[in-house]
Amino acid sequence: MRIYARGCLLILWKFFLLVMLTAGLIQAQASVRSEYEVKAAFLYNFTRFINWNTPPDDDVPITVCVLGEDPFEDLLEPLIGRKAHGRVLQLRAPDKISEMDGCNVLFVSESESSSLREILEKASRQAMLTISDIPDFARRGGIVGYVKQGNVIRFEINLEVANRTGLSINSRLLELAVRVIR
Amino acid sequence: MSNFWRWEYWPLRIKLLFMTLLISTLGIGLVCVSLIVLENENYRDQMESELHVIASILAEQSAAALLFEDREQLLSISSSLRQTGTINQACVYDAAGMMLTSLNDTERHACPDLSTSPSMGFGTNSYQLTVPVTLDQELLGYIYLNSHLQVLREHIRSFVVTAVGIGLIVQLLLVFVAYKLQRIVSQPILSLSDTAERIAREHDYSIRTPVSSHDELGRLSATFNDMISTIQLQNRRILESRDSLERKVEERTAQLSLANRELEAFSYSVSHDLRQPLRAIEGFSQALEEDCEGQLDETGKDYLRRVRGASVRMSNLIDGLLVLSRVSRQTVEINQVDLTGMVHEIVSEINGINDSLPTEVVIQPGMVVMGDGRLLRIAFQNLLENAWKYSSKKDCRKIEVSASADSTCTVVKVQDNGAGFDMQYVEKLFVAFNRLHTPSEFTGTGIGLATVYRVIRRHHGDVWAESELGAGATFYVKLPLLSDQR
Repeated sequence: MRIYARGCLLILWKFFLLVMLTAGLIQAQASVRSEYEVKAAFLYNFTRFINWNTPPDDDVPITVCVLGEDPFEDLLEPLIGRKAHGRVLQLRAPDKISEMDGCNVLFVSESESSSLREILEKASRQAMLTISDIPDFARRGGIVGYVKQGNVIRFEINLEVANRTGLSINSRLLELAVRVIR
Repeated sequence: MSNFWRWEYWPLRIKLLFMTLLISTLGIGLVCVSLIVLENENYRDQMESELHVIASILAEQSAAALLFEDREQLLSISSSLRQTGTINQACVYDAAGMMLTSLNDTERHACPDLSTSPSMGFGTNSYQLTVPVTLDQELLGYIYLNSHLQVLREHIRSFVVTAVGIGLIVQLLLVFVAYKLQRIVSQPILSLSDTAERIAREHDYSIRTPVSSHDELGRLSATFNDMISTIQLQNRRILESRDSLERKVEERTAQLSLANRELEAFSYSVSHDLRQPLRAIEGFSQALEEDCEGQLDETGKDYLRRVRGASVRMSNLIDGLLVLSRVSRQTVEINQVDLTGMVHEIVSEINGINDSLPTEVVIQPGMVVMGDGRLLRIAFQNLLENAWKYSSKKDCRKIEVSASADSTCTVVKVQDNGAGFDMQYVEKLFVAFNRLHTPSEFTGTGIGLATVYRVIRRHHGDVWAESELGAGATFYVKLPLLSDQR
């Protein structure tokens, strides 16, 4: 009799917890922006803290390219026209690797993870800032990789590749990185 | 004790010291207060600018973390503020004014709501400031800092303690210096006043005050010395002249007393020596009258009578001279004398001898004078005999003796209704051998009033007379009430 009662109490407690948790989640979802909204904002912020060692003139725009399936949909549209290091941002969406010449910032979609090595080699040659949310992107030779820690979006930086590519990264940004590969 | 607190009773040196110290305290106090106020302002400015620098550095450090909404990083950045020790609270807001992280030393205050624009700057207990966080002119958020003012307070407190301490040390030093310096002014005045007091106390005019400077004080001291020198010189002159005067007086007195003694001895011996031949004349004329009366005719008898009359007059003259001489030599013994009694005795004596003219004598009762009884008796006997004698040609004799006294002397009045005298000869009245009437009118030697004069003078009194021819005479005798033994 007593055991039964205890089991009842336990079930009741678990149910209470569940209710509380879902309530909290719903609330969190309501107040926090969507994942790609945050990632789009981060993308713009990266361009502000990362600079090219041999920058072109101020009036040459920074071309932000999204390679592969665009997970941002239209979330990157607000970036167009904004400035970083005095240069205007513009957007492009190359379909193939061969079309990505002239990009300055390259977001590699998860759909391109199979040809990542080829993409990164090319990007490195053309001094592109590579950003992606492919897991272990930084360790695999990318420069900035998104990392999700619970509900919070963070990032890793491969400083070694960045240096090789000819990019200088603001130390303030490095402080914020979850991991810096040197 | 109450005088101790009154300014006018303070010694000069304390006044000088007090004045110096009052001024220096005022000066030091003002300097201290202005330094403290200035230091407070400076320290506030410094603190403000330091906090602004800290806030700017914080803003620069937080820019990236704000962009990436990295609250942990923001918290770790603001945690570094704990090392400053002065910042109570640091809050980071995003551009919309929403608080992202807060660092609180105490739980007393929550981060302020920026939308209500809280007051910034110095408050009662804290200093608050907000700085914007920007990147490429884009506003990213705000940083709010709240610093407590304990450090400021402690700094000012220690500054006050130091300032007051230094002020006290300086003041002590000034007390010492002022004490030394006040002597420059007070010493000459004190020594001058001491010297003046000593001179007044000891009457020693040889004391001088030292002259140490050439200012007004020095001149004052020098002038004072000059004045004392003048007084000393004059004093010496006065003493010298007094000494010489005294010597002269002594000399003169000695000469005078010698002359007096010689004169008295002379008159005494003359009187005595004259008596012998006179007695011989008297004796032999008496023998001639008794033994040879039958052999003389009327003319011879008349001559003989004249010789005898002349010898009697001469005998009276010699008696008078002897009395005068005795009165001059005899020592005066002052006692209380019953004058009324004495006058009564004299009057009864004279009444027994003289003529049978109706006589009215009025004597004031209770007259008392100070003097030598024997000498006064001679004087008043002479006065009363004169009164008797000069009123003998009237139909009736009227004599009055009265006295009036004031605080210093008694004046005795002897009044008769006799022949009187002419007031223009009053000067000669008391001089020996001077007579205002001829012997045919009134008999007399001319020595009586001289004797009266001598007696009264020896009592340090005075005698004078008033009269009118034929209307009687009044003699006044003034005797001092308390005759001091001069």
